[in-house]
Amino acid sequence: MPGQIAGATAGTAAFPAVPLQETVLLPERIGELTGLDGFGLGGELLATFLAAFLIGNLMLAMTGVAGPWAKRKITAAFTDRIAVNRLGPAGLFIIIADAVRLLSKELVVPENADRPAYDLAPIVVASSALLGFAVIPMGNGIHLADPEVGLAYVFAVSGIASLGLVMAGYASANKYSLLGGLRAVAQNVAYEIPLVVTGMSVVIFAGTLQMGEIVSAQAEPFVTIAGISIPSWYALVNPFAFVLFLVANFAEVGRNPFDTPEAPTEIVAGYQTEYSSVYFVLIYLGEFLHIFLGGAIIATIFLGGPAGPVLPGIVWFIIKIWAVFFATQWLRSAVPRVRIDQLIEIGWKGLLVLAFANLILTAVIVGLIA
Amino acid sequence: MCVRFEASDVTEMNDWIAIGALALVGVLIPFGMMAVSYLLRPTVPETSKRATYESGEIPTGGTRIRFNIQYYMVALLFVVFDIETVLLFPWAVAYQDALAADEISLVSALGPMLLFVAILLVGLAWAWRTGAVQWAQTSRQLETDRS
Repeated sequence: MPGQIAGATAGTAAFPAVPLQETVLLPERIGELTGLDGFGLGGELLATFLAAFLIGNLMLAMTGVAGPWAKRKITAAFTDRIAVNRLGPAGLFIIIADAVRLLSKELVVPENADRPAYDLAPIVVASSALLGFAVIPMGNGIHLADPEVGLAYVFAVSGIASLGLVMAGYASANKYSLLGGLRAVAQNVAYEIPLVVTGMSVVIFAGTLQMGEIVSAQAEPFVTIAGISIPSWYALVNPFAFVLFLVANFAEVGRNPFDTPEAPTEIVAGYQTEYSSVYFVLIYLGEFLHIFLGGAIIATIFLGGPAGPVLPGIVWFIIKIWAVFFATQWLRSAVPRVRIDQLIEIGWKGLLVLAFANLILTAVIVGLIA
Repeated sequence: MCVRFEASDVTEMNDWIAIGALALVGVLIPFGMMAVSYLLRPTVPETSKRATYESGEIPTGGTRIRFNIQYYMVALLFVVFDIETVLLFPWAVAYQDALAADEISLVSALGPMLLFVAILLVGLAWAWRTGAVQWAQTSRQLETDRS
């Protein structure tokens, strides 16, 4: 990848303190560490699989902490309660207890369900979210793949989830599920456009879709105040785009104030009404993975990826995506839900127009400077 | 496999192999969980346990109901705009480099994009006017529609 190396060297020349963007990806690194790269193609494939397995389980572990424990603790703190505190330190062992509890529930399949679609939907929702993490640079060389179309790829695979949701909604043969599935797809398509168009305004700055290069482009100094050089994170260069992207992302992952697809006070639980046992776990897992994927995209294209002072890259990356997760939980406790018609109007009349205004303004300003 | 590609192609391939590996992991994890659940969970069939959930009432009517046509309008709008974003991505990638290299003037770099976006915004304005993206109507709007 010649472009990536060029970007890294440009960063070094201007600003040596910035940590270098690692050019060695995780599969190769694991191949070197385990000696698997000496076994030809088979060894390389095994190393690649191990790397993918590591990434998958890292995100699974984060979801495990977030779902049964952190979500409850955060909501409890907002509503002045204590929440889980019986099992283990600060109630942390509830994660294990909940995993066993949920997996050992009886699987009740509604009698009119469309079987193949009903069974496939949870798998589609869970694995589509996981796929996006392939191109996210997580720091310390934890970066599975860096294709040239990275950003477009992330938007594409996270869009597959809409398919899973509409499958779940339709195949359950339940009116609440159908309404929830329809709402989910209407919402996802409405906010996908502002999300992608705002992401495009970042591409204008970076001049590339490759995640590694977008991160290294943000390492260059933006302004220097009192000898401290502030990196050109795109959240600082273009805060307007950052706010737009954040709002569109909350809608895309279906969190408050845009959680109309599962609105518990209106349509029970939307598309997941008829799902129990392991299927419920998978849909829930998929939703949390999507929140984290949204956080990972925000961290990568707006917050400098894994960059940050003192602490290692992976720690900064985790802090950044957990900050986005915390924001979703904050909104969950603090902001009322919008109605479905308001949601559509906000999306098409508000965010879409603002996103295009942002794109055109960015293009004009970048054009005048360049 | 390595023989047929140039050195640069191999790195490109590795990226997609890695993504494929994650896809495999992404399918194996759900299946693993389903297998564990299959071993753990009980099966206790009871009368009408599998009935469609309608808040405890006896379910009425089918579920293949008619729904609002406006969902269709929104989906149609989405297709148009999503194709647009795909077509704009190459422009966004090339834009700054082309200007920096002094290959073309600002007007000829920006103009076609503005025209392209403008055509689609006309479409949005039409959808806006016909109410495709306004689902609820105020009583005053309903009256003007009737008259």
